[in-house]
Amino acid sequence: MTDNTAGALPGRNIAALGSASAVQTWPSRYLSGKNVLVATLIVILGFLAVYPLAMLFYGSLHSTPPGMAGEFNLNGYRSIMNWTNFVVLLNTIGISLAKTIPSLALAVLLAWIIARTDTPWRDKLEVLITLPFFIPPILTAMAWGMLGNPQVGLLNQVWKWMTGATVSPINVYSYGGIIWHMMQYSTPFLFLFIVDIFRAMDPSLEESSRMCGASRWRTFRNITLILMLPALTNSFILSLIRGIESFESPLFFGTPAKIEVITTEIYNSINHRATPDYQYATALSFAIMVLMFVLVVWQWWLLKGRTFTTVTGKGYSPNIMKLGPWKWVTFGFCILFFIVTVVLPVGQLIIGSFFKFFGFYSWDMLTTEHYVAVANNAEVWRAFFNTMLLGLLGATAVMTLGSIVAYVSIRTKWRGRRLIDALAWLPWMMPGMVLGIGFLWAFAMLPGPIPIYGTIWALMLAYVALGTPISVRVMSSAYAQLAYDLEECSRVHGATFFQTMWRILIALAWPSFAVGWVLAFFGIMRELSASILLYSVGSEVLSVVLLRLWSNGLAEQVSVIGLMMMLLVILFRWVQLKLIKSRISTL
Amino acid sequence: MAAIVLESISKYFGTAAAVDNANLEVETGEFVTLLGPSGCGKTTTLRMVAGLEQNSTGRISIGGEVVSDAAQGFFIPPERRQLGMVFQSYAIWPHMTVFDNVAYPLRIRRKSSQEIKDRVTNALRLVEMERFADRPAPALSGGQQQRVAIARALVFEPRVLLLDEPLSNLDARLRTQTGDEFRQLQKRLGITSLYVTHDQGEAMALSDRVVVMSLGKILQVGSPEDIYRRPHSREVAAFFGSPNFLEAEVKDCRREENGSYRLDLDGGWKGLCHASGELAPGSKALVMVRPENMYLKSGDRVYGGGMSWNGIVKESIFRGANRSVSIDTAAGLLHIELNALSNPRPGENIEIFAAENSAWAVPA
Repeated sequence: MTDNTAGALPGRNIAALGSASAVQTWPSRYLSGKNVLVATLIVILGFLAVYPLAMLFYGSLHSTPPGMAGEFNLNGYRSIMNWTNFVVLLNTIGISLAKTIPSLALAVLLAWIIARTDTPWRDKLEVLITLPFFIPPILTAMAWGMLGNPQVGLLNQVWKWMTGATVSPINVYSYGGIIWHMMQYSTPFLFLFIVDIFRAMDPSLEESSRMCGASRWRTFRNITLILMLPALTNSFILSLIRGIESFESPLFFGTPAKIEVITTEIYNSINHRATPDYQYATALSFAIMVLMFVLVVWQWWLLKGRTFTTVTGKGYSPNIMKLGPWKWVTFGFCILFFIVTVVLPVGQLIIGSFFKFFGFYSWDMLTTEHYVAVANNAEVWRAFFNTMLLGLLGATAVMTLGSIVAYVSIRTKWRGRRLIDALAWLPWMMPGMVLGIGFLWAFAMLPGPIPIYGTIWALMLAYVALGTPISVRVMSSAYAQLAYDLEECSRVHGATFFQTMWRILIALAWPSFAVGWVLAFFGIMRELSASILLYSVGSEVLSVVLLRLWSNGLAEQVSVIGLMMMLLVILFRWVQLKLIKSRISTL
Repeated sequence: MAAIVLESISKYFGTAAAVDNANLEVETGEFVTLLGPSGCGKTTTLRMVAGLEQNSTGRISIGGEVVSDAAQGFFIPPERRQLGMVFQSYAIWPHMTVFDNVAYPLRIRRKSSQEIKDRVTNALRLVEMERFADRPAPALSGGQQQRVAIARALVFEPRVLLLDEPLSNLDARLRTQTGDEFRQLQKRLGITSLYVTHDQGEAMALSDRVVVMSLGKILQVGSPEDIYRRPHSREVAAFFGSPNFLEAEVKDCRREENGSYRLDLDGGWKGLCHASGELAPGSKALVMVRPENMYLKSGDRVYGGGMSWNGIVKESIFRGANRSVSIDTAAGLLHIELNALSNPRPGENIEIFAAENSAWAVPA
């Protein structure tokens, strides 16, 4: 649009006025630098996404583990075609559906309470409700493992003590346990999407329905909900995909109960068999990719032409419903959600860390020996420093890459930008487990002595690949809010391209960069499924060490480390919220 | 019987009064416009009539029936007030066709499908949109959406039609045309309408009566001509165009048969004019003369009453249809709009005058 109006006539005049040589050399120099950048991005993204994917396909046809001589055959695909795996597939989809539907209902209810009612302290409640999303799932999985243990779980003990019953009512090692744990993540995840839709909707669309004689409830059903349907569908599929990718919940609560899903089946076939069956695992990974692909295509197809623009940009506040005394009920509901998803698990970690043995809670069992043990555990410290190093460097790398990719793909008209965008988006379809296996093959197949495997850089590459789709999205939306005029105006007033980038674009987009950075850091800190495949002695990260301690029955030390991580989560979340607030006031 | 009655209604957001003690009666079939700059409380007033905001004080009645009484804690929600409303953004639901949008109020009222079909078709014919019935709503232009919004507001024959700046999102030419069409439709159907706008021209052209608001208060209620030619205060006078204000001392004040007052003034010049209220002799008055009501004195034409000034032309700007001239006089710098053909040059000494019936005094 601006090209047509601003570029047409004045551009020709300038070209005519400028000297012939300037007209020739300037664009060609410019073009070559541009091409180098585009080519570099394609190589980097290709290495991060296409290469492991290609190696995954290669590995699925290869009879031996990565790096060994073998032959090509279809045995991998043949071996995954059996009845057990059909049950695994049903489990995977069924569990994901079973957690997505109630999560969505709950998220809509919570989002409505926060965005559309006069419930007291809504801004504070919003922070509390979204907090579970930022806690590494491995922490709450372990906490719930202790809370809902059928023999000695705290909840069961309290129940028995209160009612005198002898039978434990709760067993987290079940379908219900897996779903319950997944819901604690998907609800705040969905909430974050939906609350903004509730806020951004033009209130007159609802008001006009009321003027036409429809009651509040009818308006909600006929107008609000239907208008939100495309966005709700989108969130539904996103949550479904996340559920299929999920590793921690089925690992902790499914495997002990012999309930397997695709991710745990892949993990088991590599880690829990006499000889790791890489071909089987790789073939299974490829199968899950196909499932993802089908879901993503379904999502596109559903959303095709179904986005209603309900945002008018007019600064009206959304309709707030006065609940009267009911506002204390909604308030209590939000607090209950927070207690169940945060206070209970964190409380369990605190209790667990101070008693000699988990499950035996009496005064003479109180101790601080676990803190001492953790402090003297060299492996924990090493994992802590590895995690911090990977988090700081990885988040910076992810966001830098994401900023450049987003700039090229949405603010330039360069050739190749669509390819770059698609490549950056590709890891979105790859569960961490699948990407981990892809990189296993990829590192083993690297030509010559490039010793990546076995170092923390192997983890770094996987984290950057996994984080890029989100960082690109965050930065794209940041750039999209900045009008082209801001950039063009700077150029017209004499700033060079790089001065403009630094003084205008980065100056305006850095809050988004920082918010994305914290998100990426969280992502790295909580990552388990790729890490568990790619770590080796010396390059452990906290989540891997936690899992190992847990498998060795050291739930008490796990609690101590979990609390440390919780402190980090709260610190970073606080910084992030401060940044968001300052951004809102400046933009 | 009055269709809408507002009795000392106010709306407080926190401690700030968005509307402060407003009183208004709208007769059945009347077209009344709430006019004022943004933030003057006109939209809040409309929304209180609609029931989308609850009034903090006072009582609102529609069709003789109380719909909200703050003192009694009585409040009828918007869906039970039987009103039609056109929103500034039109609020056409994007997930429905044109037909479904217009049929919505009837479906809510559980009308038979035959009746719905007939009445929607009629309503769409009224706004000349029957050809578009099956279009999805987002595929309409702004002007078409506006027509659909009107059809939807009229289809269930509401007691009152409320309109919140319905023309402000249209381009200038379409705005005039749509406004005139809507006014004809309103007259034909005889539907009571309460209309909000910040556009003076629109308010003049459409309304039976105009309510001028500022800072949450109603300043004056009257016919467009009253408001324009006989304002009660300087604020109302200055709201339309950019009139000349001349300070003067009142020499004499007499009541006229039509209820207005005739003043004899002295401000270094002498003249006669009218005012709406009594101004005591010796008090200060501000005389409003609109630039288009002043004339160049030429030849020996006789001018009945009024006032005249001598001055030197400072500036003369040709604007096509007319010519804006500023003249330095003993009463200050006066702006007048002249026929474009007359051409006083800067520096020229000229005499201008205003007829008695076009000069209007307000308290200083």
